[in-house]
Amino acid sequence: MSRNWQITRKTLQAISLVVFVLTLVFSKDSAFPPMLTSSLVHLSPLAMLSNLFSSKFFLSGSLLSLVILLSSLVVGRAWCGWLCPMGTLLDVFNFSKLRIRKNLPQAFRKIKYILLIVTLVSAILGNLTLLVFDPITIFIRSITLVIWPLLDKGVFFLETLLIKVPFLSEPVFALDAWMRPRIFPIESSIYQYAALFGVFLMVILLLNLIAERFWCRYLCPLGALLGLGSRLSLIQRRLNSNCVECGLCGKDCPTGTIDVKNGYQSDPAECTLCMDCAGTCTKSAFAFTLKWEAAKKQSYDPGRRLFISTIGASVVAVVLLRMGWIKKTANSFLLLPPGVQDEDKFLSTCVRCGICIQVCPTQAIQADLSLSGIERMATPILVPRKGYCAYTCNICGQNCPVQAIPTLSLEEKRLTKIGTASINQSRCIAWGEHGNCIVCEEMCPLPHKAISLEQKIFTQASGDAVEVLLPIVDEDACIGCGICENKCPVEGEAAIRVQLI
Amino acid sequence: MKRISRRDFLRYTGFGLTGLAAQQFLIACGGKPEEISGSMEASKSPSATNGLPTSVASATDSIPTSVVSATATIRKDYPYLVVAHGEQPEEMVRQGIKALGGMERYMKSGADVIIKPNICVGYNAPEFASTTNPWVVGALVKLCLEAGAKRVRVMDYPFGGTAEQCYRISGIEEQVIAAGGSMEVMQAIKYVEMDIPNAVSLKKTKVYQDILNADLLINVPIAKDHSMAKLTLGMKNLMGVIRNREAIHPSFERNLVDLATLVRPHLTIIDAIRTLMDHGPTGGDLDDVKVQNTLIFSPDIVAADAYATRLFDMTPEDIRYIQAAAERGLGMADLSGLKIEEISV
Repeated sequence: MSRNWQITRKTLQAISLVVFVLTLVFSKDSAFPPMLTSSLVHLSPLAMLSNLFSSKFFLSGSLLSLVILLSSLVVGRAWCGWLCPMGTLLDVFNFSKLRIRKNLPQAFRKIKYILLIVTLVSAILGNLTLLVFDPITIFIRSITLVIWPLLDKGVFFLETLLIKVPFLSEPVFALDAWMRPRIFPIESSIYQYAALFGVFLMVILLLNLIAERFWCRYLCPLGALLGLGSRLSLIQRRLNSNCVECGLCGKDCPTGTIDVKNGYQSDPAECTLCMDCAGTCTKSAFAFTLKWEAAKKQSYDPGRRLFISTIGASVVAVVLLRMGWIKKTANSFLLLPPGVQDEDKFLSTCVRCGICIQVCPTQAIQADLSLSGIERMATPILVPRKGYCAYTCNICGQNCPVQAIPTLSLEEKRLTKIGTASINQSRCIAWGEHGNCIVCEEMCPLPHKAISLEQKIFTQASGDAVEVLLPIVDEDACIGCGICENKCPVEGEAAIRVQLI
Repeated sequence: MKRISRRDFLRYTGFGLTGLAAQQFLIACGGKPEEISGSMEASKSPSATNGLPTSVASATDSIPTSVVSATATIRKDYPYLVVAHGEQPEEMVRQGIKALGGMERYMKSGADVIIKPNICVGYNAPEFASTTNPWVVGALVKLCLEAGAKRVRVMDYPFGGTAEQCYRISGIEEQVIAAGGSMEVMQAIKYVEMDIPNAVSLKKTKVYQDILNADLLINVPIAKDHSMAKLTLGMKNLMGVIRNREAIHPSFERNLVDLATLVRPHLTIIDAIRTLMDHGPTGGDLDDVKVQNTLIFSPDIVAADAYATRLFDMTPEDIRYIQAAAERGLGMADLSGLKIEEISV
């Protein structure tokens, strides 16, 4: 019986993970309606609640997260054990053979509550930076910035080897044609800071070496939020008199909540209902029963004192951020996704999920880390040298789950100013070297071009006269799409760059 | 002594072995191996070194041997260049190709055909003349299939927007699919870095292999304004077959002609039904579009380009790359003395 439960759980976990990844990767091809892509983020009660507090705007999509939140009143943290893609990833990279078994103090479980309170309090104060710790956003970010590009490079490398085999080349080409641009980009570059975001994921996975599901036990703020509801959960693991205290069940508990000192009872705020323990018990000493009864208080539960001190600390932290101590530094090259006008409003709406980065077909949208301080960590910025904002495209706004990037029609987006291009004449081939190059003008997508060419005759050192076409930017017309900066053939930093003026 | 890098050595070894294997396989099947190796060899050693093309056959010498032998038997009095005027694109294409000797002159049954229109951006609908007329492309697909083509693929490597967006917005995808052809998104894996023998400036570049290996390559540019080249026509349309297009712009003429020595379309059809007279190559304003209702057909890309300059009140002398190409023996820029047939449809 319990085996069936485990098989069901694992199947559901696998399906959830696969559906999550597929929804994400196929969003590049706009294969699914934007609503479906957005719903991945709408699943997270933490992200949606924080967004609601911070933006003071209720999104109908967030009702989905309410379902997850309310589910904790019935099935506790089953989300964590059965559906959360991050949790499943942690189960896959369990490292059980390599684990250094260490008994960590139960008080460590408090950390996640502290993280939760700080996240929510800063959200009320308009700061959403800590959503980088929401497991859904971590998962999306990791797939988008790290795992998928790595897979892409790996697949491409393998393909280049396989096409050398004569009879394989045609099937490989056919496979490649199916995959690109459907799930992999035609041409991909590594995302900026990908390595750092990769390290972030690796750390979370490697913490499994210390304790199974270390992240879920001690750190996950979403787990903490669901844990609060789980205290009242209808279904809980309850012991009966059959228990002979053999200790078998406690050995395998992934969250280590089956406690010897507590007579092998468990805390519903920690239990993910994975049913692993039910498989080991030979006496039917416990069951997951339906009963309306609040859980016993635990030593590590957040008390009033913790609440108040944490709230105080978060207020101080946010004020410090605001005061400019670690606040963003002004950088005129910091471009925001198309249609984002008010930067502060954007920062208090964006849940750092990275969906826009995933759907952007040109990799123009990148995750920020260093340009402007901690507050903006993992928010999207536009990096024209990496990719241009295509005149054909408005997909980021359509897919943004929280409308931090506004939904614009293609006509509207084409008139939306992102920045203004300006030419660094000393780097420019035409201005600096009197050479032939009109790429920026050629690329400019505007019907009347925001870059014009002025014909000038220069006398070279040799005495010969050369005719040069000099690009000149019309600052009022320029929308800052960045295709000129992207395609500028000058090596390294482009000779024409888009900036905020 | 030119040094060969390890990668190139492996690559060429791979090619060689592949070629050998393919040859063995074809012999075993009773096929004609020279059909396969012929096109590859021909495209690797363009006729640029052979001097001026004196006949259609030499201008189209990258056609597989069997087809070339077929062209040898055709009437010598086919025009060198055909200009069709009219208002119905499909009929213009049919009549124009017919006047040039029919599609059968350029391909045989079972041929693998690639049509390369200009689909540079996905910004505008076809009437804005930034991309090739979709009905012209569709008609060419039909003609090739009617002549027994095994498959007809249409492709370009756009610079503004994704290939799929551009294929759709240009209207070309719809016409090609309706005609029975297929659109291919140009895959990174099919580009191979190649040496261009006898190149003056562009010694090496990554070229899309299928374009070089096609039995029949039809180049279908749209005639447009361009700030540097002045006009973008047949030869400039070849830039869509290489990977790093931006690097071509410094010393543009020399690079473009070098590329034209490597990539030799068997047929060039310049779409001048609607021409973009200003703000090219992207366009976006119908006031910049001039209706000229003209199509230019020739197996000689240089001659086709040279003729097209007339539609912009220019002469071939005004366009430096046309001059340079003619000087290097890629085709005829001087149209006097060539047999040109103008037809009204």
